[in-house]
Amino acid sequence: MIDQPPYGAWTGREALDMAFSLAAFDQPASLLFSGAGVNWLRQGQEAGAIGQKSVEKNLSAAPIFGIEAILADRAACKTFGLDESSLIEGVTLVDVDAALLTDYHHTAFAG
Amino acid sequence: MASNTMPQRNNEGFLEDARDWTEGVAAAIAAEDEVELTENHWEIIQFLRSFYKEHEMSPPSNRLFVKAVKEALGEEKGNSIYLMQLFPGTPAKTACRIAGLPRPTNCL
Amino acid sequence: MTAIQTLHILNKSPDHPRAAQCLELMSADDGLLLIGGGVLLLATGTLPTATRVFALSPDVDARGLGNLSSNNVSAVDFAGMVTLSLQAQRVISW
Repeated sequence: MIDQPPYGAWTGREALDMAFSLAAFDQPASLLFSGAGVNWLRQGQEAGAIGQKSVEKNLSAAPIFGIEAILADRAACKTFGLDESSLIEGVTLVDVDAALLTDYHHTAFAG
Repeated sequence: MASNTMPQRNNEGFLEDARDWTEGVAAAIAAEDEVELTENHWEIIQFLRSFYKEHEMSPPSNRLFVKAVKEALGEEKGNSIYLMQLFPGTPAKTACRIAGLPRPTNCL
Repeated sequence: MTAIQTLHILNKSPDHPRAAQCLELMSADDGLLLIGGGVLLLATGTLPTATRVFALSPDVDARGLGNLSSNNVSAVDFAGMVTLSLQAQRVISW
């Protein structure tokens, strides 16, 4: 679960790395973005300007590596002006509530 | 290859500057592992370079390298035996080194 | 245009408590400079209207927010950020 905005800290990238590693060993893993974390999912990020790699492009490798789903909190997307036209491909909007989290054996926050 | 034509590399043989990569540099790096590049090697090298362009990362580990190749080129090539034959040692590491990509982050 | 009294440099994303505090403490003759995660304020539609707002372009571009910069927001580069800091009477880095 990533609830921190992109580029400010390394914790989100570490979570991504962890999810990729789980996928590498065929453990089912999904990524859930909430709060300011949904800004990871915006189209058109040009991170070269700040000397970083684009998290948008990094994330696009998730399905290839076998990440099951990229989920985003519907309310947070609305707060940050994100809709189907501005989100990257393959994102499923969900409502983050107790019911959603019971679908997962283990949920961990980044940072 | 003479040191004046081999671009700067780090202590593990990865290019310091990706822009230095040429097919000649790839062949020279491969020669250090006693690998002579064939069409099959080039197919993987081209795949890795386009993967990097699209995702701004090298496949982070060997398993994910195999997965990514499998996804793109099918089971016949996306398996660890095939890739190990082409790129001895740790295939992801050897292949990324030859392809001029950064070191896969999770390969020891 | 009058000189900026206090330049508020905000690098916290809008959901950070310090972002709210910063916006609360701003006066009309202050300036707000958004950098880092602070530029996400461009996406939430909660920009202050009474003060001048600036945003650091490399950080805006990194987050894919270039098309959200409205007329009320001036894009600045690193040199522009330095100029702003020097022109302001005071600077608060949030």
